[in-house]
Amino acid sequence: MINIITALQCEARPLIDHYRLRGNAKQSAFRCYQNDELRLVISGIGKLAAATATTYLASSDTQTSSGWLNPGIAGHADHAIGTPLLAHKLIDAASEQQWFPGIVIPAPCASETLTTIDRPEAEYRPGTMIDMEASGFYAAASRFQSCELIHSLKIISDNRHQGTDQITEKNTTALIHDNLSTIDAIIDELQTLAHQQNRIEKAPIESDAFMAQWHFTTYQQNQLRGLLRRWHALNLPAAPDPNNFSQLTTSKAVLKAIKEHLDRQPVHFYEANR
Amino acid sequence: MHRLIYIEEAVADHPRTKAICARFPRATKVYCKHYGEVFNRKGQNFRLQKQNPALILAHKHKNHVLNAPDGYGIGGQRNYYFSHMLNCLYDCRYCFLQGMYRSANYVIFVNYEDFQQAIVDTAREHPDEALWFFSGYDCDSLAYEPVTNFTDEFLPTFSQLPNANLELRTKSLQIRTLLNTEPFDNCIVAYSFTPAALSQALEHGVPSVEKRIEAMVKLQQHGWRLGLRFDPMIYQEGFEKDYQQLFEQLFSRLPAESIHSVSLGTLRTPKAFHQNMVNLYPEEKLFAGRFDEQRGMITYAKELEEQMTHFCYDQLMQYIPQSLFFACTPPE
Repeated sequence: MINIITALQCEARPLIDHYRLRGNAKQSAFRCYQNDELRLVISGIGKLAAATATTYLASSDTQTSSGWLNPGIAGHADHAIGTPLLAHKLIDAASEQQWFPGIVIPAPCASETLTTIDRPEAEYRPGTMIDMEASGFYAAASRFQSCELIHSLKIISDNRHQGTDQITEKNTTALIHDNLSTIDAIIDELQTLAHQQNRIEKAPIESDAFMAQWHFTTYQQNQLRGLLRRWHALNLPAAPDPNNFSQLTTSKAVLKAIKEHLDRQPVHFYEANR
Repeated sequence: MHRLIYIEEAVADHPRTKAICARFPRATKVYCKHYGEVFNRKGQNFRLQKQNPALILAHKHKNHVLNAPDGYGIGGQRNYYFSHMLNCLYDCRYCFLQGMYRSANYVIFVNYEDFQQAIVDTAREHPDEALWFFSGYDCDSLAYEPVTNFTDEFLPTFSQLPNANLELRTKSLQIRTLLNTEPFDNCIVAYSFTPAALSQALEHGVPSVEKRIEAMVKLQQHGWRLGLRFDPMIYQEGFEKDYQQLFEQLFSRLPAESIHSVSLGTLRTPKAFHQNMVNLYPEEKLFAGRFDEQRGMITYAKELEEQMTHFCYDQLMQYIPQSLFFACTPPE
């Protein structure tokens, strides 16, 4: 799953159309759109709104690992209008707090520092993009996800030569629309990473069958998942089957029996060559 | 090729920072106040970062030389380690670094002179004793040599300190500097090995056993003293044959006279690190076998440890005198 936070409806519109997102009428606190792979929330302007919307989305995320993206527009003194830039460092101007997203994806564009300000400023800050949401988004998202899966992608909307007074809803939509291929490439990469992580973190398929047959405490459930993962890692010919332990009456005895079974198994790293 | 280089503001103008950055002209430089802002923060994933590690250039302020852990040594009474770099280019599934750090980014501490001074000071504190300094604890000593220039920078320090022995522990083929340097007695180039099939399965990105042996032969011919490290020994059913073949392969190419020391160590990982490693790689066969807990360390079962150690020891004694052998085992 990829979670997307945009500040404005005009930033979201090209994404809603491109990914064929449907409005989610059940969610009323924010305007939410989704398909099977993506969820998008329009937060409104400002870092507090962005943080709240991010938390709102995270609270209903059922995946252990999801990608998070905050696409939008930003100002920069020097970069040309329409340039897409991934944030490699986020600064909250008010608190001076900094974050460093882990860029492990092969990003399709250059990167830049991004400073989030609380209210519009007359002058551009040197060497940084400027927006009003990213620090709120990142601070909130990083509570739920590791930093490699959280990114802000900004399209330059104004600079020293063409100021904020020329930003309109129409050209904001056009800027996002013109960079859909870049956004798409990042979403693709984040999806790949999130899928990898979810595969790793997924509970073994047999867990439910065991838990239906015996009562495991939360601690024991973790133990059970660990043992079943070991079972799969060993590539044993037979899959774990609760029926093979049906003579045991307690979950403790089942865990002990599985562990003893696994401890007896030989380890081979190269079956094919033996 | 690094896409990003994080640089502590304090070392932005350091000549070594500039030299390293010059090797990556296309990398974007990102400045931070302290490397800890980027490295090993909560909410980082080692496995994800390992796919594309960034480089971090930083200043090490203290603890340039540290006492080596128990069982990490080759017979010396005073053992130290120093780490000009944190993390490794290689991706060995048994390596404790992946359990110790949340970040797989490479940190290079560019203030080599402070490390060198600490080494000199430590050696002078014990002028009548032979000290051992290990450089391959938090990283591979040679693997990043083209970027760090580590041996070129540190060998002169040790060549001037007769009571300070340096062990370069490595799996790398980056031996050009060593081959261009006059060997001296108090430096040992120690290569780590597991049997070839295990290496293929578990040591990702590491040069093959054969290539490492070729590098050792070149070093031996040049006159460097060599070490062999079988630490950790890795178990699989039929390990006897695996290790027997490895020893035959090594000692058929390396004359015993060229060997300074041979050490054996069992797989042992602090419990918390081990759990982190299992969580990162739950599908990994290495962690799926039987492990026991001994004194806060996760190890193979004691009887298996003893079986492996005795077998490998007996095999090694066919090739080397007992005086060259060292067991890397923490005290009971």
